[in-house]
Amino acid sequence: MRLPRLLRAASFRLATFYVALFVGSFGLLGAIAYAMTLDSMENVLRKRIETEHTLLQHEYSDGGIDQVLRVVRERQRGALAGGLDYGVFDPSGTRIIGAVPFVHLAPGWTEVADDPDGDERPGQPEILLLNLALLPNGDWLAIGDDLNPARDLAAAMLGRFGWVIGLAVTLAIGGGIVLSNAFLRRVDNINRTAEAIIAGDLRSRIPVGTAGDDMDRLATTLNRMLDQIAALMESLRHAGNDIAHDLRTPLSRLRQRLDAARHPTDTAEYRYAIDGAIAEADALLDTFGALLRIAQVEAGTVRAAFAPLNLVALVDDVCSTFAPVAEDSGRSLQWTSGPAAYVRGDRELLVQLLVNLIENGLRHTQTGTTVRVTLSADAERVQMNVADDGPGIPVHEHHNVLQRFHRLEAARTTPGNGLGLSLVTAIATAHEARLVLGDAHPGLRVTIFFAAAPQPAPASSQHTTAALASNAAT
Amino acid sequence: MKILLIEDDVETSAYVKRGLVEAGHVVDVASDGRDGLFMGSEGTYDVMVVDRMLPRMDGLSAVKVMRAAGTTTPVLFLTAMAGVGDRVAGLKAGGDDYLAKPFAFAELLARVEALARRPPLAPETVMLRVGDLVVDRLTRTVKRGDSEIELQPREFKLLEFLIRHAGQLVTRTMLLEGVWDYHFDPKTNVVETHISRLRSKLTAGGRADVIETIRGSGYLLRAPPTAA
Repeated sequence: MRLPRLLRAASFRLATFYVALFVGSFGLLGAIAYAMTLDSMENVLRKRIETEHTLLQHEYSDGGIDQVLRVVRERQRGALAGGLDYGVFDPSGTRIIGAVPFVHLAPGWTEVADDPDGDERPGQPEILLLNLALLPNGDWLAIGDDLNPARDLAAAMLGRFGWVIGLAVTLAIGGGIVLSNAFLRRVDNINRTAEAIIAGDLRSRIPVGTAGDDMDRLATTLNRMLDQIAALMESLRHAGNDIAHDLRTPLSRLRQRLDAARHPTDTAEYRYAIDGAIAEADALLDTFGALLRIAQVEAGTVRAAFAPLNLVALVDDVCSTFAPVAEDSGRSLQWTSGPAAYVRGDRELLVQLLVNLIENGLRHTQTGTTVRVTLSADAERVQMNVADDGPGIPVHEHHNVLQRFHRLEAARTTPGNGLGLSLVTAIATAHEARLVLGDAHPGLRVTIFFAAAPQPAPASSQHTTAALASNAAT
Repeated sequence: MKILLIEDDVETSAYVKRGLVEAGHVVDVASDGRDGLFMGSEGTYDVMVVDRMLPRMDGLSAVKVMRAAGTTTPVLFLTAMAGVGDRVAGLKAGGDDYLAKPFAFAELLARVEALARRPPLAPETVMLRVGDLVVDRLTRTVKRGDSEIELQPREFKLLEFLIRHAGQLVTRTMLLEGVWDYHFDPKTNVVETHISRLRSKLTAGGRADVIETIRGSGYLLRAPPTAA
């Protein structure tokens, strides 16, 4: 099973491709070298033969055919020509002298097989490259040389090429296998981790090497993704537990009240029990409503409706509504107005965010408390602060109060479901805004950092700008 | 008043029908979207109460078809979905009001009656009058008798809403939605506070209180308005 997988490995396929490319180009190179070697060696032979022809033509001019025959005889005997073969034929084709085989008498080059003379491979004839020329007396002079050494050399060269290619292929395949194995091992690591996670071991992580290469980066990214998923699942599990835990109390109270309603002593008591049960049910539905709202905001689909809006106007609007509410409760709400500060968002959600924060400042503080809403903006961001001078939240609780259902001991007696700040966090997150809890010395300060959005240009001002621009152009 | 209730959940429709009948209305029930569409298209109803999720044809589509066919009967959508987008989709489809489940019956009744008696108030109607109370919607001034009453913009809007629904029960939620555009439930007494401020301004100098508080339900502005 190991091999087929290996063959399917991407790195092996890559190696194979490289080998094929290498063999192809090397083979082509070999063929070219072979042809060129053969060609240049044949050329050398031809040159020698042509030179010999010229020499013998000179001998003929000096002493006629007899002189030629004498020189040829001498050369054959002493092998002075360095192994050239000669033949002289009369016009009828009868050999007068020489060892070359009979050939068709025509001027020019020809190749002819001859008996082996010992330097051939066994069973191979000697191949002679012959040049025939007509002598002035009508006889034919043939001069030739053995082509085999040239061909053998070229063939031997081709053979070496073959060996080199063979070796290269072997090395490449071996290297491919080694590389692929290394690659597969690392892929296997990822696979094994994934399988372990599927099997339920959610803490399993991919081993990361020390090389810091692509695979390590991939492993690191995957591990980070797994950490994130684990954190989300953990928070989901917590939320589930919290919901189960937090709904038990009101559900059992509901049950108690309904139970009490079964044995009323008079109508008033009956009504009281039923009213109480309805109130409990309403509180439960309220909690579910808040949870659904948080879930909806967290799902992020609300972002589709985001548009630039002026946060200053929104703060002004909400605060003018809640200032009398604060006053009636013996507290005070102060806010500052300023130049417009635009952010991209959903008006309804941002109103709810601010209302939740203001109401927190009004509900969880003693009378006489002042809640301050301030905005500050620069080109990059808009910062909204809601601070009170109430009892505040201890720093170690800052993280917890943003969690669902978390309520401070001090707030246990105030009605509420512990979801207000969770919703605020969800709304801030949906707006890609950062929420920070801080100490207002004394009291709680909630700061939300929004990214500033450009002020939407009304149509008329766009016209003005365009007109100004065209004026400037002319 | 003749009301068409399009609702598939038997318990909910029985609960709503009983309440509406007890309040003196005539109620027909359709249990799926297709039937609701046929019955509603007759145009013989004063108000339709339509559930969003219905078998055979969802409430949104049924109302869209009716509106396309020219039915102008006011529609109150009921829904288990209370999301921002859902409400907007409901109003876009031709719904006139939107109520999320679960709801108190008093809330439903107040909204149904408000829809049916929605006064045909033309946008150009400038002066609204209730007894000796005169509201000028253009200059945004309020007079009671001869003396002018200074109102904050929000108090003015609140009074305007109450006058437009004069003689009807207006719930706290209806005020939050209609006056503040708040589609959530504040934990503090926003409505009570502003009503009490408005009331004390209107009753300054010992004048009679025109805003009646219906305990546990909402508010009622007594005399019907007369356009001046």
